[in-house]
Amino acid sequence: MFVLIAGGGRTGARLANLLINQNHKVRLVENRRELLSLLHQELPTEVIYEGNPVDPSILEAAGLRDAHAVAAVTSNDSINLALCFLAKSMFDVPRTIARVNNPNNAWLFNEKFHVDVALNSADVLAHLIQEEMSLGDMMTIFKVRRGLYAVVEEKVPEGAKGIGMPLKDMGLAEYCVIAAIIRDGVMTLPRGDSTLQANDEIIAVASPEGAQKLAELLAFPNYPTRDRNKRSA
Amino acid sequence: MNFIVVGCGRVGAELAYHLFRGGHQVVVVDSNKEAFNRLHPDFRGRTLEGEGLAESVLERAGIREADGLAAVTNSDTLNAVVAHTAIAFYNISNVVARNYDPNLRAVIEAFGLQTVGSTYWGAQRVEELLMNPSQKAVYSAGNGEVEVYEMLIPENWNEHTLGDLLDSLKQCYPVALSRAGRASLPEMSTKLKTGDVLNVSSTFEGIGALTARLSKKAEA
Repeated sequence: MFVLIAGGGRTGARLANLLINQNHKVRLVENRRELLSLLHQELPTEVIYEGNPVDPSILEAAGLRDAHAVAAVTSNDSINLALCFLAKSMFDVPRTIARVNNPNNAWLFNEKFHVDVALNSADVLAHLIQEEMSLGDMMTIFKVRRGLYAVVEEKVPEGAKGIGMPLKDMGLAEYCVIAAIIRDGVMTLPRGDSTLQANDEIIAVASPEGAQKLAELLAFPNYPTRDRNKRSA
Repeated sequence: MNFIVVGCGRVGAELAYHLFRGGHQVVVVDSNKEAFNRLHPDFRGRTLEGEGLAESVLERAGIREADGLAAVTNSDTLNAVVAHTAIAFYNISNVVARNYDPNLRAVIEAFGLQTVGSTYWGAQRVEELLMNPSQKAVYSAGNGEVEVYEMLIPENWNEHTLGDLLDSLKQCYPVALSRAGRASLPEMSTKLKTGDVLNVSSTFEGIGALTARLSKKAEA
């Protein structure tokens, strides 16, 4: 796959490295002098293309006409929007992915600017942090549909509310499917009348609401309370 | 009418004041409130501090009721994106984007926007005046690529036909001939008289060639 990346900040440089390691062809377009010298230390010279990432003549020269995808990850939202628009309208690039810097601008990142996928970095990070705080020991294995759904793994602790309850009675139907139960190292595919035991590990596909509900069912019976007096003593 | 001006630099401030003086409702948007100091002291339109891409800012600027929007910041990309937003999200048809850096004009054109490039246009006009102080452009199309000029017929072309004058001249078409204050659509066979005013529609190269020819004596 040939990917053109616009913006050589941390995100762009990291992405370029990831893709190069997977043997994809990469071009990174950047025009900020101070970043270019850093990029030359990190990336092969033939990957870096110096120029303004919205200038059609630069994009043409960088080979955008042959690119399979564009990643517009500069720190400037209007550049990211304009690039996606140009990529599709002038260069017929099949797929455009753009970074949203300012969440207030997220509303513009859609088909009207030919943006296929918008990644709102502040929003994604905030949600991940929130999830880590609220979901206890649940671990996200991977995300699907831009983070809207997740495949999660969790160990069932002693005394959790969901132990012994048939899966079909857990009230998860709309949000969450328990896809596998791993008990003593053996995986079984559960049915609606299957039940959980302490120390089972489960793998589930869940929406954010589903993950929340699941976390409640599988929470420690008493969430360890923090003892304020201890600290001051 | 209701107009929104995004960007309160020199062009934005001047434009906002012109529209205001023309009796229109004007809202000027800029992310830096210091920029509003550039506005004429008599300006009585609204000023709004905020980013021109934020939905809340555009809504507060009254974009749903706007009859037109001008994106005149000093960033071509931002102007293109703001202008496209007005068209694609709010169906405003009367939208103009300023072209600041002539190298980035292609970005604005890619969005299919009406654009005015003051840098390019200004440089072109100055060049014209430097090259020939007597040339007078009366109408400028696009960004000055084609203009209508007013040319005075000198004595050396008296009694020669328009066809002789324009013979094999490229990029230059006659549009009107005025004699004693009365204009007509000239034919190639029309005989010129000293003091006639000829309007031609021409490119920069075309008018250069015509000017050179006017100063030469017609071949008999």
